[in-house]
Formats: sequence, C-alpha cells, structure tokens
Amino acid sequence: MALLAQYVVGGLAVGSLYALVALGIVLLYRTSRILNFAHGDLATFGTFVAFALITAARWSFGVSVVVSLVVTAVVGAAFFFLIIRPAKEATLLGKIVITLGLALFLQGATTVLWGTDTKTMPFPLSDTRVYRLGEVVVSQISLGSFAVGLILMAGMYVLVQRTRIGLAMRAVSQHTVAAQVLGIPVRQIFALTWGLASALGAAAGILLAPVTLLDPYMMLDPFLKGFAAAVLGGIDSMPGAAAGGLLLGVVEALFGAYVSVKFKTTLAFVIIIAVLAVRPEGLLGREYKRRV
Amino acid sequence: MELRQRYEEDLYLVRGALGWTALLAFAALLVLLPYLAPGYFLYTASLIAAHVVIAVGLNLLVGYTGQISLGHAGFVALGAYTAGILAARLHLPWPVAMAAGGVVAAFFGFLVGIPALRLTGPYLTIATLGFGIAVNQVLTNWDALSGGRSGLFLPKLAVAGVRLRDHHIYYLFAALAAALVWVAFNLARSHIGRAFVAIRDSDIAAEVMGVNLTVYKTLAFAVSAFYAGIGGAMLAYLLGFLEPQMFTLFESIYYFSMIVVGGLGTIPGSILGAVVLTILPQQLAGLKQYLPLVYGATIVFVMAVEPWGLYGRWLKVKLWFKTWPF
Amino acid sequence: MKLARIGVFATVLVLVATATVAQTQERGITDTEIVIGSSQPLSGPAAFWGQGVGGGMAAYLQWINDQGGINGRKIRLVLRDDSYLPPRAVANVRELVERERIFALVSLIGSANTFAVRDYVIENQVLWITPTADANMWAGFRNKKYLFVTYPGYVDEGRILTSYAAKNEGAKSFAVFYQNDLYGQKGLLGIKRGIAETKTKLAVAVPYEVTDRDLSGHALKLRQSGADAVILYATPTQGALIVREMAKIGYSPKLFSSFTLADPIMFQLAGDAWNGIILTAYYPVPGSDPKVDAMLETLLKINPQLRASPFNALAGVSFIEPFIEGLRRAGRNVTRDGVVQAMESLRNWNGDVIRGVTFGADRRQGINKIYIIKSENRQYRKLTDWIEYPVGF
Repeated sequence: MALLAQYVVGGLAVGSLYALVALGIVLLYRTSRILNFAHGDLATFGTFVAFALITAARWSFGVSVVVSLVVTAVVGAAFFFLIIRPAKEATLLGKIVITLGLALFLQGATTVLWGTDTKTMPFPLSDTRVYRLGEVVVSQISLGSFAVGLILMAGMYVLVQRTRIGLAMRAVSQHTVAAQVLGIPVRQIFALTWGLASALGAAAGILLAPVTLLDPYMMLDPFLKGFAAAVLGGIDSMPGAAAGGLLLGVVEALFGAYVSVKFKTTLAFVIIIAVLAVRPEGLLGREYKRRV
Repeated sequence: MELRQRYEEDLYLVRGALGWTALLAFAALLVLLPYLAPGYFLYTASLIAAHVVIAVGLNLLVGYTGQISLGHAGFVALGAYTAGILAARLHLPWPVAMAAGGVVAAFFGFLVGIPALRLTGPYLTIATLGFGIAVNQVLTNWDALSGGRSGLFLPKLAVAGVRLRDHHIYYLFAALAAALVWVAFNLARSHIGRAFVAIRDSDIAAEVMGVNLTVYKTLAFAVSAFYAGIGGAMLAYLLGFLEPQMFTLFESIYYFSMIVVGGLGTIPGSILGAVVLTILPQQLAGLKQYLPLVYGATIVFVMAVEPWGLYGRWLKVKLWFKTWPF
Repeated sequence: MKLARIGVFATVLVLVATATVAQTQERGITDTEIVIGSSQPLSGPAAFWGQGVGGGMAAYLQWINDQGGINGRKIRLVLRDDSYLPPRAVANVRELVERERIFALVSLIGSANTFAVRDYVIENQVLWITPTADANMWAGFRNKKYLFVTYPGYVDEGRILTSYAAKNEGAKSFAVFYQNDLYGQKGLLGIKRGIAETKTKLAVAVPYEVTDRDLSGHALKLRQSGADAVILYATPTQGALIVREMAKIGYSPKLFSSFTLADPIMFQLAGDAWNGIILTAYYPVPGSDPKVDAMLETLLKINPQLRASPFNALAGVSFIEPFIEGLRRAGRNVTRDGVVQAMESLRNWNGDVIRGVTFGADRRQGINKIYIIKSENRQYRKLTDWIEYPVGF
C-alpha cells in the first residue's frame, strides 16, 4: 500500500510538470491554432539562460529566473512576429514545419552556446532533503514543483477566466477578425499569448532541470509527454491540460511499476488513443463543431 | 498559349514537346548518373530513391487526403523489419521480401486508419505519434523477433547469385522509385485521387456526395503505408543492417518536413523535398555542431518565404514566365 | 518509331550492365601529410561523446603536428557529424574514403553505426583504428587484417567487475541498472557470467532508455529487489540520476559501475551520492598518473572546451595513440601494409594514456586488461592492479 502511494506520489510530481508543459501548448493552440513543436526547445533554451545567469553572471536565483522567463517570452513572441505572422499564407502543416525548424535551430544554438555536457542546475530547494508522510518519501523539490505548478495553473485559470485580458484572449481565439472589429488589440494579445506560453515552458524547464539534470535534450521526453497530455485532456481546454498531465504522470508511473518498465511510453500512448477512440475531443475538450 | 481541346489532354501527365524533352532529359540524367558522379554519391542517390518513395507515400496521406501522420517512421520500420526478417531468417529472395514489407506495412496502415476515422487534427497527430512510438518500443524490446538493439543484418542484394554492386543497386532503386511514382501520379489522377482530395477539402461534404469515408480514409492510410513499407525495405537492403533507433519520432518528423518543404499536395514537390532534405544534411556534415543551426534555419527560411514549398515556388516562377509581360 | 524505341532501350540496358566505378588506389599519403578521418555524433543526443572524443583526437593531433608531425609528415583529421544515425554514418564513411581519400578511419562511436559501416570498410580494406563499440563483436570475424582495436569488451568487463564485487566486497545479490542498447545489454551478459562464476544471485535487471529522465520508478524497483549491490551500465546523466534517486528513497547498496562513469563530471552531477562507488578503468584516470595528467593539460591548453569532458577527450587520445606509434615505426615510406606490420610489432607498449598495447600477426585486440578503482573524496583511488581477460581476437 505504501509502495503504491509512493508510485502515485512520484507520478503526481512528474505529472505536474507534464501539466505545465501541456498548459503552454494548449494556450498557444487555443489562440493561434498552431501546434508548437519548438515548445520543448524554447523551454530548454530558457532554462540554460537561467543557468548561465546564476553560474556565470552570479545573479541571485530569483532574479535569474525572472530574467530568463522574460527572455524566453521575448524570444517566443519575436518568433511569432518575425516568422509565423509573415507566413500568413502557410497552411497549418506549413506552420508546424516552421516550428520544427525553429526547434532544430534552438537545439543547435543551445549546444553551441553551452556545450553538450550535462550540468547541475542550482536550485534553492534540495533534491535530497526528503520529507516523510507515513512511509511515503517526497523530496523537497517534488513538493516545490508540485506547489509551483499548481500555483501557475491556478494563475492561468484566473487570468483566462476572470480578467479582461483573459476575456480578450478567449475572444481572439474564438474569432480573430470579430475580435479585431470589436477593438481588441489582436497583435498585443498574440504577443502576450506566445510570450506567456513560452514563459510557462521555461518555468517547467527550470523546475525540471534540478531533477533531470540540465542538458540540451532534457525536454525531449517531457515535451512529448506534455503534448500527449494536452491532447488527452482536450487540446483546447486548459483544465484539461492540467488534468491530462497529472493523469498521464500517475498512469505511467503505475504501469512502469506493476507491468513493464520497457513499454511505459507505449502504454501511455495506447491509453490516450483508447480515450480518444471513446471521446475524440479529449477528456475535457469541447466537441468540435465545424462548418461544412 | 496552351489550349486544351479534349478532356484527355487535361489528364496527360506530360504535356507537349517541352514536357517530353524535360522528362527525357531527366531520365537521361538518372541513367548516366554513375558515369557523371563519384562513387560515394551513388549511395546517397540510392538513399534519395528510398526517401522519395516514402515521401510520395506520405504525401498521398497528408497532402492529398489531409490526414496528419507523425508516426510514419513506424510504417517504414515495419516494412524494413519485415523485409529484414524474411531475408535474414527465412532466406527469401529480395523481391519477395520487399513486397512482403510493403504488404505488412499496408495492413498496419489499414489498422491505424480505423481509429483515424473518428479523429482529426492534433488528436490524429497524437494517435499516429503513439503508433510510431509503439512500433519503436516493440521492435526494441522484442529481441527474438527483431534482434532488439543488437540489430538485424540483411543478406546482400543479389540477382541469380551475382552480388549487386553500388551502381546496380542504384539502378534498381531508381527504377523502383520511378515505377512507384508513376503509380502515384496515376492514382492521384484517378477517381481515388479525387476522392482523397475531396476528403481533404471537406470530408462531410464529400460523404454527402457519395464518397465512402471509411473506405477511402483507410485506403489512404493503407496505400501510404505500403509506400512507406517498400521504402523501408529499400533502406534495409541499402544499409544491410537494421536497428530500432533508425526509426524514431525524429525520422517521422524528417519525412514530414520533406513533403512540406518540397510542396505539400504535389508529387513533384515531395520528390523535390526528399532530394533536398537528404542531400542537405549530408553536405552540411562538415559543419559539425553547427549543422542543426544551419539546417533548422534553412527549413524555417524556406517555409517562411514560400509557404507552398519549393515546388510551389517553381510553379510560381513558371507562371510568371508564362504570363510575361503582364 | 518502334525501332527507335528499341534502340534506346537497348542502349540503356547496355549502359546499365556495363557501368563500372573507378578503381581505388593507395590513398591518404602525400609527401607532407597523412589524411585520416572519423565520423562522430557531433550533434544530437549523443553529442557529448562525439565532441569529447573528436575534440580530444583533434587536439592530440594538433600537439603532434606542432612537434613536427610523424617522420616529416603532418596528420590531418577530417571530422564529420553523423548525429548517431547509421545512414549518415555510412554516407560519411563512404565520402571520407572515396572523396577525402583518407588513409585510415579512426574511431566511430556506437555499435549500430559500426555494424552499418562494417562491411563497406572491411571490403574496401580501409585501415580502421578502434571502432568505439563493444570489442567482443570482432571475435570470430574474418578479414581483420586492417582492423586494430584498443577498447575493452563490455562482456569481459562486466564479468570481471561482478567477480571482484562478489569476491572482494562480499556482494551476494546484484541488481543491474543498464542502458537498453548494445552497450548495456552486453554488460548485463558479462555480469550474468560473473554471477554464474561466483555463484551469486541476479536479483533484478532494470533497463532504461536514453531519453528517460524520470527514474523514480526504476529506483523503487531496484530497492524492491533487496539486492545488496547495484551495478550501473549507464551514461553520466542517468547514472547520476539513479544514484540520487536511490539516495532519496533511502536505498544504499554497494555501488559498482562500468568505466563510462569514470568521468570526473560524475562528482559534480551526483554529488555526495557518488562517494564510495567502485568502477573499472582501462587507462589510468586523471589524478592518478603524471603522464595522463600532463596529456590532459596539453589537451586543455589547445582546446579549453574539453574541460567539460576530460574522460572522453583522453579516451579519444587512447584510441589513436597506438596508430601514431605504428606510423612512427613504419618510417618514412608509409603504406597500408607497412603500417599494419608496424602495428603488429607493438608488444606491451605504453603510450601517454593507453597502457599495455599488444598486437600480433593474428592478434587485433590491443588491450585485454582493466583495473578497478574506487571513488573517495572526489578522487579515484586504485584498488587493484591490472586484471587480464582472455584475448578474443
């Protein structure tokens, strides 16, 4: 029983990070209808910026993190304005390939700037200090990332559902031209969305790095899982992204524990496909109504 | 000016004296390649042929039918490993092994097409992505079948006991690719191709007009998987060695970018994309760690400047010249 | 019209049937330089290995060239990136042999890539120095005339490590954490043989994929097995991660590992959890031998970026050192067969990094010994002398 709880706790901890990644992906998809395959590499880039600021420039942790989030947000928004927007005519698939190209470019840039060796990310919370809840062991970092993840998710919810800016974001995602007609500054909203999504990714990366160690390819797996979680939860639903991430983390941990470690990822996807077969719009997604 | 006077003229693949000249010149180039190019380029040329087959097949699914597939490396792997296992374990001759590779992949394509009937857009992407990963993991861990990470060695290609040399392999692959491309062209022009395009443009409207979605969507997956399987078998024989890590999400993305950069929805586009995206990393291999930077930037640049892909740009250039001086 | 068509078809057929390629001649040697080549993963997830090994080789050759080269010739290394993908590795090797016309191919990281290029290299009689893959794969392979390997066999290494652990450290049951590829699988095979030899137990074998970053489940499984010793066949990232996870859940077995984790980077990545681990090594590790330390300093002076992967850089030097010695012994008149003969004359030869290299007329496995080290206070201490294993080829 304690072992089961341990696995579940581990799954929740990693699931909260999947949820964070998924949140960024969903946010972008809702507004721009683009699947951003560069999300993981943007996050890695941001994390490396934080790392460089902390170790090379010797700034404090808080300042470095804030600056790196801002930098990533700027890079994300710049990418949108300089490349995606001018490519208006591009089909959806074309835009996806552009993000793929950007992902490759960022990977190369990260490797050239910071090298390929693995590094440790300095973090105020320790990975080895553990708390015991009964027989279950939780590390300080797991608790911290889970808490931060929850806070960020709650913050996003409040932002999108309860503020005027969030209202504007929702309007733009439903019908861009109508939103423009109503006087909503669509370009600023897009900039905000891309920046916010990129910053969320970077936050996930910074939370992940002390646990997974920092190297240019650390987000490959989490990005994939985050993407799958986003789809599982419904790619246009932010609560869905959160739910999907947590669920995926737990399911994966339990399957890896009790059935097979080797096929962990396969099973995660099989479950997702099964859910999609029953509910094609994801767990919490809205049913997709189209005009013919 | 080009006047079409009969319906048949609209269906011609190659039009007019200019078209035939271009085609024959291209064919001549292909035939004479071993004499014009250095030996090591023949290997790349054979690799291009295999990639062309895969890209054309993927294009039939993504470009013509509008179904996104990010797990195509799974079909390629299935074709490659079927051919490999039949050749290495059962010692079947290569035509049989290759054909079997295509058929097995087509069968799995059909299976994947079934859930695809209910899914669209990002949901279908995830489903196909999951399929690709599942194939990779099964091949990695089912040692008895696939040789796992130790890999699978294939016997060399031979005709009547005589081992084929580089240039023979090149001719064989080029001929195979040409034949499959010709079939794809004809498929696109036929009622099946029209059904595919109808599904892409609006599947509900297509169904209303009598296009059986179940049949045509699964057919699209099956045909596309067949091409991928044949391409995979070609890769297997070319390399002589198979390992599951050769067929990951990275490869799926690679094939995907080929068809989009080349020109989505057009067969010459996918051929062009396959050629360019195979040669480009090879030529850039000397750049070492700067390779992803240049390669990624190139893809972004091409797609940003010309959303219709390389072939789209070529069409625009042709159109400009045709309508000159207006 | 029909006749013309038949004529064209016949011409094409004749062309196809008689197409030939240019013959290869002795390549890579001019009056002033010797050209050698390598295909390494310089980008992609395996870039850490390729940049370390490739960078180490390049820096070492630059040092040699700065001292005047070998018998009046400078050595030029052509490095190509294959991103750890077999099709690219094959294309790179072909291009290196046919376009760059290299005299010898050095290293090539990864068993998959090695398998893919193997037939081409052997058939074209290209001198191949230390393909960086499991050495045991060459046992029983024919046509090894131009192949020289100074790299340990994972199976032998696993067996020796397990035997040592059982006999000298009192380990009774083993849990193995291994990378799910040829490297880890061969290691596991060696461990199983060691277990059979010492009549101990294999409690569990937990594999991981290179992209795995969440190892909490793996650590739990290792703990569940109740083993008193854990053997790692991993790369630095996952090696550090699993050791930290095990410390987190309060599992502290005796730790053993293969030589790939002997890089000092582990002290930084795994921190205190890395204290007391016992590893193998096949050349003296930095900090334990003046010649190795001097070589490391030289490399770092030429390329300071190698600071991030000192072990890999030295490994690169260890691959290429015997070949340089062979070139020296071959004299001014360098031919492929001449170098082969020169290398066959190496008997228990010590380079700056690699030690005890022996080749012979039918011996292509240059080193057949490893030794055991232990990590203490961020340094490695030698525990045993050289332990030999049977020469396989």
